[in-house]
Amino acid sequence: MNGPCRATTRAQMKSRLAVEVDQIEPLSRNAGDEFWALSKLQFGRSPVLLTWLMVGICSCGKSQKPVVMELTAHAATTGGANLTGATFNFAPGDPAGEWHSQARDYANTRYSTLDQIDTGNVSKLRVAWTFSDGMEAGHEAAPLVVNNTMYVVTPFPDVLYALDLTKTGEPIKWTFKPNPSPMAKGKACCDSVNRGVAYVEGKLIYNLLDDHTVAVDAKTGNEIWRTKMGNVETGETMTMAPFVVGNKVYVGNSGGEMGAWGWIAALDVASGKELWRAYSTGSDQQVRIGSDFKPFYEQFKGKDLGVSTWPAGMWRHGAGTVWTWVSYDPQLNLIYYGTSNPSPRVPDQRPGDNLWTSTIFARDATTGMARWAYQTTPHDRWDYDGVNENILLDLPIDGTMRKALVHFDRNAYAYTIDRTSGEVLRAAPFAYQNWSSGFDMKSGRPIVNPDKEPHPDVKLLNVCPPDLGGKDWEPAAASPRTGLVYASIFNLCMDLTDNKVGYIPSTPYDGMNIRRFPAPGGNLGEFMAWNPATGKKVWSVKETYMTMSGVLATAGDVVFYGTADGWFRGVDARSGKVLWSQKLGSGIIGQPTTFLGPDHRQYIAISSGIGGAATIRADIDAVKPAGFPAGGNTLYVFSIGGDSMTADSNQSTR
Amino acid sequence: MKISLQTRFAVGITLGLLFTDACSRSEGGSATTPPARGFPAVNAIAAAPLGQVAGASGNVAALSIANPFEGNPQAIEQGKQLYIKMNCAGCHAYNGKGNMGPDLTDTYWRYGGLPVEIYKSIEEGRPQGMPSWGAALPPEDIWKLVAYIESFGGSVSAKDYEHARQGDQPGEQIAPEVLEQRP
Repeated sequence: MNGPCRATTRAQMKSRLAVEVDQIEPLSRNAGDEFWALSKLQFGRSPVLLTWLMVGICSCGKSQKPVVMELTAHAATTGGANLTGATFNFAPGDPAGEWHSQARDYANTRYSTLDQIDTGNVSKLRVAWTFSDGMEAGHEAAPLVVNNTMYVVTPFPDVLYALDLTKTGEPIKWTFKPNPSPMAKGKACCDSVNRGVAYVEGKLIYNLLDDHTVAVDAKTGNEIWRTKMGNVETGETMTMAPFVVGNKVYVGNSGGEMGAWGWIAALDVASGKELWRAYSTGSDQQVRIGSDFKPFYEQFKGKDLGVSTWPAGMWRHGAGTVWTWVSYDPQLNLIYYGTSNPSPRVPDQRPGDNLWTSTIFARDATTGMARWAYQTTPHDRWDYDGVNENILLDLPIDGTMRKALVHFDRNAYAYTIDRTSGEVLRAAPFAYQNWSSGFDMKSGRPIVNPDKEPHPDVKLLNVCPPDLGGKDWEPAAASPRTGLVYASIFNLCMDLTDNKVGYIPSTPYDGMNIRRFPAPGGNLGEFMAWNPATGKKVWSVKETYMTMSGVLATAGDVVFYGTADGWFRGVDARSGKVLWSQKLGSGIIGQPTTFLGPDHRQYIAISSGIGGAATIRADIDAVKPAGFPAGGNTLYVFSIGGDSMTADSNQSTR
Repeated sequence: MKISLQTRFAVGITLGLLFTDACSRSEGGSATTPPARGFPAVNAIAAAPLGQVAGASGNVAALSIANPFEGNPQAIEQGKQLYIKMNCAGCHAYNGKGNMGPDLTDTYWRYGGLPVEIYKSIEEGRPQGMPSWGAALPPEDIWKLVAYIESFGGSVSAKDYEHARQGDQPGEQIAPEVLEQRP
C-alpha cells in the first residue's frame, strides 16, 4: 500500500467486499459459526460500506484509494467502525481455530477472527479446564493449538507438554524434557522464563535457556534436531520465541545485563543448520550491513558505526541482545526486530551512541542484510531496550497510506515508523516519562533532559520510566475492526545510582542500583487502546498492580489481558469498559490466546504464574505492594458457561 | 583438593586444628586488621560437608567454623566494596535481596547459611549459575564477603550449626509491604 491512493467507486468497494466476504467462510469451523458470520454480514454490510467510504474520503483525498485487505472487510462487515483506517495483512493465514506462533501472524497482531465470545456474552466466561506444570518461575509463553493438540512450554528447565484436546480432561499426550544446563538458571537476568514455541510443518521449535535451539516432532515429542547457539558460561541465555518464515527460523540471544554480544540468527527449519548470524555491535560485516543499507537519518550513516560509536573495544561486550519478537512483511521480504540496552548499564563508561543497541532493525529475511535501522534511545542511560514488538499495519498518515510499523518502546514513546524506510512518522509518549523533554522529528532523536542523566556514585531521584520502561516485552495486539492497538503498560519511576563496573565473564555487567515506585497517579499498571495513525491514547484502564501480560484481540470485539496480581479481564475493544474479570491463582504475565476445540467451541487460554521482571527486586521496590500473589503455574482455559467436552460427558453420564 | 571422607571427618572433629596461622593464600592487601586467631585452615574448611555425613549422624562439628572477621566493621565495609566490585550486586542486588541470584537477607539458604557454608558457596561456586571465586579471590576477601553477607542478618550463627541442620530456627513473618507514593 505504498504510494498514492486512487479514487475507488462504491461499486468497486462492494465487489471487493464481496470477494473478501467469500474468504471468510472457510475460516468458520462449523455450521453454527457460518450462520453467525453470515447473519452478521447481512446486517453489517451497509454501515461498513459507509464507514469505508468515509475512511476513504476523509483520510485519502482524491489521489488515494481506500484500502481494503482481507480481514479488514470481515471486520467491517460485523459492524462498528475502524477508527484509524488501519489495514492489516494476516499472512500466513493460519486456520482461524488454531494458534501456530506466539504472535499468531507475521504482522504480530495477535488478533483472532473467532467471534463466538463477544461483548454480549463474555461475562459468562467460566473455567472449562486447567493444567499445571508445577513450575515456579514466571510463565510468559502463549500455548499453541494445532490439530486438536495444545502445546505448552514451561520456564526453565523448558519442558514441553502436548495436551490432547480430543479427550475429556485434556490429558498429557507426551512430554519432552530437553535437559538444559542448570547453570542457565542463574544467568538469566529476569527470571528463567521462556517466551514460547513456534509450530511449522509438524515441528515445534523453541529455545532453551542454555543457548540451544531445538526442534521437536509435534506428533511424537521426539527431538528432531538441536543446535548450540551460544555458551551459557559467558552469561548468554536464550528466552525469546523463535519466529518462522518459510524454511527459516529466526532466533536471538538474551544477556544484556551480562555483557553478552547480541545477535539474531537464521536457522534452516529442516536441519537446524545456521544460515547466517547478524550481530548488533561490531563492524559492518559482523552486523551484516552492506551496500543496500539505507537508513533514514544521518546519525545511522557511515562505516562501522557499531565499532566507532563505542570506546575502544567495548562493543564486544556491548549487548544489543535480541530477546523478544520478530515480525515479517511478505511483500517487502523484510524482518523487523529490536535490540536490547547496551552493556554495561552505566552510560558514563561508554561515551557515544552505542550503535546498534536499543535499535529497530529491518533486514532482508533471506540474506539477513540490514535494510535500515533506527535507534530509539541513543546512548541509553536507563536500560531502555528497543526490543518491544513491531506491529505491521498500513495506516493513513497525513492523508497518505503508509506501510507502517507500530512500536511501544521501553523509553515510553510510541513510534509509528515507515517500515519501508525507517522514517519516524509519529513519536508520542504513551506512559509517564521525564527523561526527555521532547522529540526532534527532523533528526529522529529524542531530546534528553540533562537533569535525568545518571553519573556514577550520584543518587538520581525520580527518573521515569525506570529500567522496566513504560512497557516491557509483553506484546500488544491490534484489531482490524477498530484499527486500534492495545497494550499493557506501566506507570513507574525510579531512584537510580550508577556504580562503575568491570567486565568479569560469567557475572553481570550491570551497575544500576535501582529503587522503583509508582509514577503520579499511584497506579502501577494500565491497559490502553492507542491510535497509531494519530499517536494518541484512545482510552485506558488503570490498574493498581503492574500489567505485564500479552494482549489478545478478537473479532468478538473483546480484548483480553491480565494483571500481576492475577486478574484476567475481558474489555470492550471500543469503549474500554471491563466486561468480565476472573481472579486466577497467581499473577499473570502470560499471553492470552484463543482457539476452537474439537467441539467447535471457542476457548480462551491464559497461563498464570507470576515471575519475570514483574517481581524482580520486588521486596526493595514498591512494585509489589501488599496482597501480591505467590508464584506457581496454572494454565486456565475458559469457555462460555465453562462448557467443555468434559462437561458434556458429565452431562451424558448423569 | 581431594580428601577422603574419613580424613574430613577426622579433621572435622579435631577442633584444635580449625584455626591456624594466616593462610598462605591470604594476600588481600587491605588495611583491615588481620584476625587475631588467623584464618581457618584450608583443610578444615574442606572438611565442612555440604550434605549430611553418611553413617555419622549429627557429627558435623566442622560446620562450627566461625568467620574470623565476624562483626568487624572494617571487614564488613570492605566486604561491601568487594560485593559491588565483583558484581555480586548484579545478581543478588545491592541490598542483598536477590534478583538473578537468591536473596541473601532472608533465612532460607539453599546451600546452608552458616559462615563456613556461605564461604564455601563463594569459594566453590554452585551449579545454578553461582561462579566459583576460589581462584580469583584470596580467603581473606571471601571471609570479608561472608562478613558483609552476615551483616544482612539472615545468616545462621556458627554456634547454631546443629539447629541449622535440623530446622530448629524460628519462622519468619513477611509483613505486608507498603505501597509508597511519590509526587
